[in-house]
Amino acid sequence: MRQFFYRCCGNKSWILTSVAILLIFCSNGSVRASEKASLPREKHEYTNVIMISVDILRADHLGAYGYKKGVSPQLDKLATQSVLFENSIAHSYLTPVAHMSVITGQYPRQHGMVSFEVTRDDVAKRTLPEIMKYYGYETAAVASSPEFFMRYDTESGKIVNPKDIFSRSFDYYGRTMPDETGSTRVNPVAALNWLKANKDKKFFLWIETGMLHPPYSQTVPQPYKTKFDPPAYTPFYDRFPIRPGRETIDRGVPTEALFHVYKGNYYLDFEPVYRLEQKDVDFIRGRYDAGVYYTDMFIGELMDTLDALKLSGRTLVVFHSIHGESLGEHDYFFHHDVYDTEIKAALMFRFPGKEKAGMRILRQTQGVDILPTILDYLQIPLNHEAQGASMMPLINGNEAAYKGSEYAFVDRLPWWEYVLGGWHLEHQSEREAQYTPLEIQKMKDYRLLLQEKIGGGQYPPQCIAIRTNQWKLILRGKSALLEQISWWNFISGIKFPVDSVELFDLASDPMEQKNVAKENPEVVEKLKAKLLEWDAANKINKPKMPAGRSLIIPYP
Amino acid sequence: MSHKESKNEFDVALINRRDFIKKTAVGAGVLAATMAMPGFMLSNADAAKLANLPMKYKDYNVVFVSFDALQAAHVGAQGYSTRNVTPTIDAMAKKGFNFVNNISVASWTVPASMTWFTGVYPSEHRLTNKFSVFNPPNNVLSNLKKLSPELVTLAEVLKENGYATGGFTGNAGVSGFFGYSQGFDEYFFEKGKFGSMGVSIPKGLEWLQKNKDKKFFMFLHGYDMHGQNVPDGGFDYRFVDKGYDKKFTGSAAEQEALREEGLEKGSVALREEDVKFWRAIYDEKIQRTDARFKKFLEEYEKMGLMDKTIFVLTSDHGTEFHEHKRFDHGFSLYDELIHVPLVIKLPKQKAGKVIKDQVSSIDVMPTILDLLDVKVSDNVKKQMRGTTLVTGLKGKSVAKDVFFETDYRQYTYKRGIQTKDGWKLIYTLEDKSRELYNLKNDPHETKNLVEREPRRAYELEQRVFAHFKSIGHDLNSKQWIPGLNPVYDSQAKGVQKK
Repeated sequence: MRQFFYRCCGNKSWILTSVAILLIFCSNGSVRASEKASLPREKHEYTNVIMISVDILRADHLGAYGYKKGVSPQLDKLATQSVLFENSIAHSYLTPVAHMSVITGQYPRQHGMVSFEVTRDDVAKRTLPEIMKYYGYETAAVASSPEFFMRYDTESGKIVNPKDIFSRSFDYYGRTMPDETGSTRVNPVAALNWLKANKDKKFFLWIETGMLHPPYSQTVPQPYKTKFDPPAYTPFYDRFPIRPGRETIDRGVPTEALFHVYKGNYYLDFEPVYRLEQKDVDFIRGRYDAGVYYTDMFIGELMDTLDALKLSGRTLVVFHSIHGESLGEHDYFFHHDVYDTEIKAALMFRFPGKEKAGMRILRQTQGVDILPTILDYLQIPLNHEAQGASMMPLINGNEAAYKGSEYAFVDRLPWWEYVLGGWHLEHQSEREAQYTPLEIQKMKDYRLLLQEKIGGGQYPPQCIAIRTNQWKLILRGKSALLEQISWWNFISGIKFPVDSVELFDLASDPMEQKNVAKENPEVVEKLKAKLLEWDAANKINKPKMPAGRSLIIPYP
Repeated sequence: MSHKESKNEFDVALINRRDFIKKTAVGAGVLAATMAMPGFMLSNADAAKLANLPMKYKDYNVVFVSFDALQAAHVGAQGYSTRNVTPTIDAMAKKGFNFVNNISVASWTVPASMTWFTGVYPSEHRLTNKFSVFNPPNNVLSNLKKLSPELVTLAEVLKENGYATGGFTGNAGVSGFFGYSQGFDEYFFEKGKFGSMGVSIPKGLEWLQKNKDKKFFMFLHGYDMHGQNVPDGGFDYRFVDKGYDKKFTGSAAEQEALREEGLEKGSVALREEDVKFWRAIYDEKIQRTDARFKKFLEEYEKMGLMDKTIFVLTSDHGTEFHEHKRFDHGFSLYDELIHVPLVIKLPKQKAGKVIKDQVSSIDVMPTILDLLDVKVSDNVKKQMRGTTLVTGLKGKSVAKDVFFETDYRQYTYKRGIQTKDGWKLIYTLEDKSRELYNLKNDPHETKNLVEREPRRAYELEQRVFAHFKSIGHDLNSKQWIPGLNPVYDSQAKGVQKK
C-alpha cells in the first residue's frame, strides 16, 4: 500500500484529482466522508511515541514482575494496560552502551558506543530519533542521567564533550537540573511541561531517569526516602569513623560505601572491618526501592498528564529499563557484570488503543529488538543496519513469524575498571571522605595497573555471554586478567578467583548462584558454539579508509 | 562550479532529450513534444501491424549486438539531436521496439555484459572484478565457471536447444578468459586488445557463411566507441571545431590519463572546449561504428536472413564526458554510465514502437528466451532475476524499479536503485554516503537531495539493501574497505601496490 501511495504522490495529477474529490465531499456537506478521505493511512502519520527509559531498574523489583513490596503501583497499573515482556535482555550493564543498542537496534560492537572516549563519528548516527525525524516527528528528550550529557576523559578525570552523542537528532534535548544534593538524577518532570506545550505536534519524546543510580535514594525526598528503611536503623558506614564524613544530610547510600562491600564484608584500608547483617542489606535494598517508588510516582503523573491532554489514545508508550543492578546477589552492589540482576530489563508497550492490554510475553527478546518493533508498529520500514527483529509477531500471537534470535548476546566491556583507573579517587566521594595514605598509594598503583592492562580502549575484552530462558553461559576469555584487575579483589586485598566458563541454570537458579558448567558439558559446548559464532560475526566495525593511488587496481 | 555554469550546447541537447523522455515516461501530457519524436505515436495501421506480430519465434535466429560504451544520450533514436551519428541504429529502432529507458545493471563491461548472458546481477555471477585474486604479481583472473559454476549461460541454453552459437568480440572485458565463451561453439576475442567491429564483423560474417542454414545465436561486439579504441588510420576530426587548440588529440593514452587523474583527485580539470572536443571525438567513433554496422546489415541482407532474425541492439554501459567532473566509466553509477539503448527488432516487423517503460539489462535474457520459445529448464527459470519484456512488446506496462552496482578496481563499491517514477539513490558502501536524485527535475544528477528528502532516501536505501539481501548478498555482512577488501573473501590474499 505504501508503494502505491508513494508512487501516486509523485504524480501531480493524482494530487489534483484527490483534492477535487475532497472538494466534492465537502461541498456535499458530508463532513464524515471528508474526514474519512483525509484519514492518515499509516500509523506514523498520526501516532506519537513516548519512550520512558529508567536506568538501573531491575524488572524483579516491580510488582508487575512479581515483587511483593508494593513499590510500583503506577507501573503495575501501566502493565495492565500494556503488553509486558517478561524476559527482555539488555546488551550491557553500562547505560550508554545498552541504550545505544535500544535506539539503533545494533549490538554494541556495531553501534560503536563502547567507551567514554568514543567520538561522535565513531558511533552509529541512525538512531530512533533520527528515523523519527525522517517521518516528520518533532523529537524531544528530557534526560537525567549524566551519562547522556557528559563523558569522562579517563586520563584527567575531567568531564569532556558534553551531550554530543545522544543529543543528536533531537529538536529539543533537555536535562534535569541538580537538586539540593547536587545530583541531576531527579525525576525528569520537565517532560510534563514539554508535553503540555507540544501536545498538538506529532512527537517522539524520550524521557530518561537515572534516579535509581547509586547513591541509592540520594535525590528521593522525604518522606519517601526512608519509607522502606528498617526501623531505628543506623547505616553501617556511619558507624566506622575511620573515614569521617563531613555530611550532616542524608544523601542516600554512598557509592563509596557500596564500593567497599564485597562478599558481605565492609572493607576499609583493605581490611574487613564489618560483617554486614541482613538488616544492612535490607536497608540498602530499601533505599533502592525508595527510588523505585518515587520514580513510580512520576510515571503515574506522566500517565495522568497524557490522559488529561487526551494524548493516550494516539500515543505509543514504550517503557523499559536500560539495565539492572546487582543488590548483593553476587557479593557486590552496583552494576558490574552480565548477570540477570544487571541485564534483565523491564519492557512494556502500551499501544494507543491499549490493544492486547495485559498480555505477557515469556519468549526471550533482547534490546536490539525494541527499535524494529517500534518501527514495525508505526509502519516505518526497518533500517537494514538494525540487527534485531520486530516483536510485533509475538504481540500478535504469531510466534513463528518472529525473526529474532532465540539467544540473547551480551558483551561485558571492562569499561568500569577502565574508568576506575582514571577517575574514581577524584570523583567518587559524595561524603568528601579522606583516604588514608595507604589507600591513596595503592589506588595509584591500581590505576597504573588498569592503564597498563586495558588501557587505550582495547576491545573486545573477550568476556561475553549468551542467554536463553533456560541457560546462561559466560565466557571469560581472559579470566586471569579479570582477576588481576578486579576492583573487588583490589579493595579486599584478596584474589578471588574468576571462572573462565560459567553456566547457570536459570530455570532452577534464577539468581545465578551455582556454576553448573562442569555438570553440563554438552550445554556448554552448544551455547559456546553459538556465542563464538555471534562473536565472529560481530567484529567491531571500524573501517579504516586509506587514501591515494594505491587503492586503484591498475586497469586494463 | 555548478553544471549550470558549465552548460554548453551539448548539455542543452542532453537536458532537452532526457527531460523529455523522462517526463513523457511518467506523465500523460506533453502531446506536442511526443509528436516530435518519430515512433512515439502510433497510427492505427501501425498499431494493427504490431498487434499481428506473433511474439513467438521458434527456431528463428538472434543477432545480439553490443556497441560497447554507447551512452543512450548519443543515440538519435534515444533523443540525441546534436548530430546525426546513428542512422543505421535509428532506422532499426524505428522499425523495432525502441526502449528509451533501459538501465544497465553495472557501469563497466565485465560485470554488465555477463548479466545479459546469465540473467543474474553482477553480485551473483561474481564477475565484479577483473581479478578474483589480486596479489601482484600472482593475480588470478575472474572466471565464470570458477566463480559461479552453477550458472547456465544464454548461449548454453540455446545450444541445448539446437542453436549454433557464435560470439565475435573485441576481447578485453568480454574476453573468453573471463568465461564469456561459455556455451559458444566459436568465440572470437583477439588477446590483448580493445578490438573494434572492424575485426569482429568480418569474423562474424565468415562464421555466418558457414552457419547461415542452421538456426543460430550470434553475439557481435566491438569497442569502436570505447575510450581505449582509436579508428584505424586515426581520427579525421570530422566534428571537431576548427578553432580547437588541439590540447588533446583523442588518443587512448590521453583518455586513460584523464580517467586516472579523475580517480586520484576526484575530478579532472577540463575546459569547456575540451569537453566539446571529446564529445566530437565520441560522435566520430559512433558514426564510424554505425557505418560498420550498416555494412554488416547489407551483407546480412544478402544472405537472406533478415526475415528469420531477431535483432537485439544494446550497450553494456555508457561513458562519462565530464558530466560529473570525471572521465571514462566504471567508477560511478550516474545516468551517463548506466542509461543505454535497447532495441528489439522482430522478424518482418514493419512498424516500430517507442517503449518508455523503465527496464533493465537483467531482462534481456528472459526476453530472448521467451521470444524464441525454446525449452528452458526449471533451474534456468529460477536462475533468471529479470522478467520477459515480451509483455511490453504486446503493449502492456513492463515499467519497473531497477537496481545497479559497481565494484570498480577496489576503488569504490556502489549500489543503487532507480524507481520507475524517476528517483535514484546511489549508496557508496565504503563510506556509507548516499546520493539521491530526482531525475525528472534534475536529469543531470547535480542536486543531491539526501538532506532535503531524508525519508525518501531512507526508504530507497532500505530497498537497495533488501534487494541485495534477497539475492543472497547481505551488504552488511562484510566491511567494504577500498584497497584492503578482498575481491572474494575466500580467495583473495589482499591487495598491494603494483
